[in-house]
Amino acid sequence: MTAESADVLIAGAGPSGGVVALRLAQAGFKVVCLEQGGWLDRADYPGDKLDWELKARKDWATSPNLRGLASDYPIVEDDSPVSPLMYNAVGGSTILFAGAWPRMLPSDFRVRSLDGIADDWPLDYQELLPYYYRTDRQFGVSGLPGDPAYPPDTEDAPMPPLPIGAAGMKVARAHTKLGWHWWPEFNSINSVPYDGRRPCVQRSTCQSGCNEGAKASADLTHWPKAIALGAKLITGARVRKLETDAKGLVTGATWIDGEGAEHLQPAKVTVLAANAIGTPRLLLLSAGPRHPDGLANSSGLVGRRLMMHPFANVAGLFEDPLMSWQGQFGDLIESLEYYETDEKRGFVRGARWGLAPTGGPINTALPSRAGEQIWGPDHHTHVRTHLGHGANWGLFAEDLPDEANHITLSATVTDASGIPAPEVHYSMADNARRMLDFHIERAKESMEAAGAYKIEVDRLMRYSGWHLLGTARMGDDPKASVLDRWNRAHDVPNLYVVDGSCFVTSSGVNPTSSIVALALRAADHMVETRFEQQVPA
Amino acid sequence: MNGEIDDPVTALDAAERATLAAVADRLIPAAHGMPSAAAVVDDARLRFVLNARPDLLEPLRAALRADLGEDVEVRLDRLGRDEPAVLYALQLVIVSGYYTDTSVRDLIGYPGQMALELRSWEVPPYIDEGLIDAVLARGATWRDPATGARAVVADLPRTYAERFSDPAPTNQGGT
Repeated sequence: MTAESADVLIAGAGPSGGVVALRLAQAGFKVVCLEQGGWLDRADYPGDKLDWELKARKDWATSPNLRGLASDYPIVEDDSPVSPLMYNAVGGSTILFAGAWPRMLPSDFRVRSLDGIADDWPLDYQELLPYYYRTDRQFGVSGLPGDPAYPPDTEDAPMPPLPIGAAGMKVARAHTKLGWHWWPEFNSINSVPYDGRRPCVQRSTCQSGCNEGAKASADLTHWPKAIALGAKLITGARVRKLETDAKGLVTGATWIDGEGAEHLQPAKVTVLAANAIGTPRLLLLSAGPRHPDGLANSSGLVGRRLMMHPFANVAGLFEDPLMSWQGQFGDLIESLEYYETDEKRGFVRGARWGLAPTGGPINTALPSRAGEQIWGPDHHTHVRTHLGHGANWGLFAEDLPDEANHITLSATVTDASGIPAPEVHYSMADNARRMLDFHIERAKESMEAAGAYKIEVDRLMRYSGWHLLGTARMGDDPKASVLDRWNRAHDVPNLYVVDGSCFVTSSGVNPTSSIVALALRAADHMVETRFEQQVPA
Repeated sequence: MNGEIDDPVTALDAAERATLAAVADRLIPAAHGMPSAAAVVDDARLRFVLNARPDLLEPLRAALRADLGEDVEVRLDRLGRDEPAVLYALQLVIVSGYYTDTSVRDLIGYPGQMALELRSWEVPPYIDEGLIDAVLARGATWRDPATGARAVVADLPRTYAERFSDPAPTNQGGT
């Protein structure tokens, strides 16, 4: 079945797809989006219910392999110590993301120039900054202006900061004593009523969906506005392949509905916003006689250079009650003290630290992520001393690009529509391993200074692949990159990629604020160049 | 997801229930003023858990099967060695039944994930304590790509009061 042609077809209704859809709909484009998941009702999120911690481990798990929902596709991850995490629905992974909203730093765009490794981006911090301001307003960001770890801003966050809690105060005082950087975290979570959405209630269940609608998810912040302007969003639509013409232009996408029926959605321009696993999967699935190694892949880099931010957790236990099961599960505070390169440490680049709440009693009682099990009479002591008495530093290590870390298509595993599943091949580099070891030791010092009587460390957690990046990188050289500086495929002039696939290097910060700023920049470019855009006949 | 059945508790026979109670007592015994899991995880709690997570019924029954013997320690050791996912399901059922019980929550002082009212109009305590001033006093810390060194920024505010006495243009509340 063939539909009416769209000006722009978007695959994926997550945050980057939402940003592009809204911008283009505002400019009068006829936008159609295909999303394999559906709309969610935040009343169904488990965070305000007694079975929250039970359901957070299954239907609301961050791993599609654990959820196994019809809207998910399996990921073959036997060859990776880290599991990619995502959510497939209108709103995409913002449904379950924590909401932490740091920006990349100026040095992140110049890794090759500054540190002699990896690559520089084709743009710099100052070029992206105006887009950060605009997307901060669109998503709604709470934060304290003036962090001296960043260049001075000309525009403040639209809302005042969220509270940092008793745990945040302890650690902030410790960092003051140590002379180390800390700052209240910027989160895309309302601290006051904003844009028709309620403020945060500190329930700390952000990663199971926000019952209040206080956390910015694209199903709330973007899609209703884009649809009101005429964008068409088709849910339950799983894209199988991008179609091309004799000139090498994309003519649209073939997609499969929930009953297995196949459809064709023609379009003048196609935008992939399916995350750094889903997007290369689609490009590889779209191989044809004129591009046997996958669409837009003359560089051979589609699916390569996967980066996922190796992650460790350093938890301090304190005698006094901190009620640390409450608070935004974005972050309370962050530290960039050891973010920039110092080669004396034995590695290049650095890591961002984010201090987070510690979860409820079921999380506390079960074996820890490090495998520690406390049963028998001591179990009660364990729960009493841990529940509400902890502070957790999450350490996000910069993951440098490595072509050996890549996505392929499985020869044996398919999704429910019979489409080959992605296979992830990933290992952590020595540089990242040394970086995590160093940062773990510094984070332990932070917790000791804060007065922790016991410190527990989880190294390289499996279920930590929240940040999927790099599998269709940007660059000026078509031989060494998939996309140009405007997120357009070098090989296919009417194909854009606007998700985290476009990242050249990973930085060491949570990437969503940068992904959406880049997506808005790409959408602006599409609007500005609309009359020069090549389209299929 | 597994299909739900009318009352998942009835899917367990008497022997399986007895084994579950024995394991629950071993994992979470009565101690330190707390009740045992065997006493807390009754039909109602078990029903609650299995209704929330019907996928746990099958591994739970596997964990309670007779061929693993009567010795609880041996059962747990064998599951941990040979079937860790099954052991995890058994632990999750017991822990979830126990810690979703109101009296247990009262005893550990956990009221659940509460909805709290933010007071965003108040000056945060870290500002009153001067903790932000201490960060600002160190000056810029970002690395300037133009020099490769720590940035030097003239006239950067060194206190919170200084920063907000001459604020940057703001978009508070705008979209």
